[in-house]
Amino acid sequence: MRVAFVGKGGAGKSAIAGVVARLLARQGEDVLAVDSDPLPGLSISLGLGVVDAAIPSDAVEEKAEGEPGPRFRLRQGLTAFDALRDYALPAPDGVRFLQFGKTRASGAPLMRSQWAFRQILDGLPPETPTIIGDLPGGTRQPFFGWAGYADTVVVVTPPTSAGLLSARRLAKLAATDAAPNRIVAVISQARDDGDTERVRRRTGLDVVGSVPWDEHVLAAEREGRSVLDAAPDAPAVTAIVTLTERLAARQTTPVLAELQGGGR
Amino acid sequence: MKLAVVGKGGVGKTTTAAVLARTLARGGTKVVALDCDTNPNLGISLGIGDDETERLIGLRQSLDDGDQQHAPSWDSLVDVFGSDAPDGVRLAVVSAIEKPEPGCPCCGLSPEQLLRTVAFDQRTVIADFEAGTGTLTRLEEGAVDVVVLVVVPTAKSVEVARRAAELVAEKRLGRLVILGNQVRDDVDRALITDAFSEADVVCVPHDERIAEADRQGLAPLDLAPDAEGVRAIATLAGRLTAPA
Repeated sequence: MRVAFVGKGGAGKSAIAGVVARLLARQGEDVLAVDSDPLPGLSISLGLGVVDAAIPSDAVEEKAEGEPGPRFRLRQGLTAFDALRDYALPAPDGVRFLQFGKTRASGAPLMRSQWAFRQILDGLPPETPTIIGDLPGGTRQPFFGWAGYADTVVVVTPPTSAGLLSARRLAKLAATDAAPNRIVAVISQARDDGDTERVRRRTGLDVVGSVPWDEHVLAAEREGRSVLDAAPDAPAVTAIVTLTERLAARQTTPVLAELQGGGR
Repeated sequence: MKLAVVGKGGVGKTTTAAVLARTLARGGTKVVALDCDTNPNLGISLGIGDDETERLIGLRQSLDDGDQQHAPSWDSLVDVFGSDAPDGVRLAVVSAIEKPEPGCPCCGLSPEQLLRTVAFDQRTVIADFEAGTGTLTRLEEGAVDVVVLVVVPTAKSVEVARRAAELVAEKRLGRLVILGNQVRDDVDRALITDAFSEADVVCVPHDERIAEADRQGLAPLDLAPDAEGVRAIATLAGRLTAPA
């Protein structure tokens, strides 16, 4: 299973993705959690705290002039699996965590690290490991380029007007630009039963999970912990357990025809 | 005066920008609200509704698709890609598009370049930035006068805000005001004031009625003008326009 989480900033992508990754790992899956946001998020949700470490720039080498292929490739002798062994960080429950690095005011440029990140993901075989990816917030069009691994795109949306407007755009962008096998919606900060129908109607997507608004999540976010550690019995965790089961069940949920055919 | 509202996604930038813009306009200031986000939602919080907000998004999209006439001048951007919002605020969506034409008045300049080069008829500009620190990394000294950095009491938001504050200081981007949003108790307050002990910090209490406005797609100023959270942001408007 390879899933990319997208949504408006603050929708709860990282918080949900972090728990899904750890639940799958607890079931014995080999899980790689990947973060393509230049600002910290997923590492905190996994329980690693703030991690700035970039993939070192010598992980890639520039192709010679006139040589075909991408501008940078993994350095000679370094396979994608070697790179995971060297550059992915161990996270709780056996999850491995990979990011290209985080930007700071006077930090080094991340261009080579970003190339390495992409080359590693492109170099992995189709099924193993399981990948749970967290994309930057918002609807910037090119960002699906970071989700080439995804067979499933999960659009996370709170039941607010702004969240739903973003989710509508993301559903269309994912269908055209990423073309995964399935695109589904997950409601975050859900308040009442009417939210599911509202999200389904506004996004045109099947709603495969509804994570309730939960004080425990708020408390965990304040402390910079995973809600899975801070409050394992919280209603939000129970909802993410159900969501994880549904995602792993691999039902192929067809994307609405209007989204597939309707362009952006 | 030009004012930028920045912060992590979902912290309340857009709500803040909308309440500031309409409060200043009610006080007689001519206000242009610039939505600089590629995921533009400012219209909803200003009170023009979901449909009109989506129409403005569609205009920028059509520009990218080649189906929309370009604006003939820098200032006409505000006419072509804008809408009248309550209290006399003029909203314009100026977010970057994927395929800008270099030198074109309506798409050749990024929001950060627009802020630096266009006078907007001397109106007060409230710019709602894209989430994160990307725009700040490209913003140049002098482009804005004030940066309102919105932060909520979570580890992630504080971490993003620290990085944003570093950028504002290093690049001398203007007067920095930290807006501590959705503050519920003293622990929340301390999380923010401790992280920014050197800075000018204003705290806005958590307010369920703002969350309700977000759900309904209404402007907080219309749904709950007396809400404590709304009043706190409105009070800030007066302070921001007064000399530092």
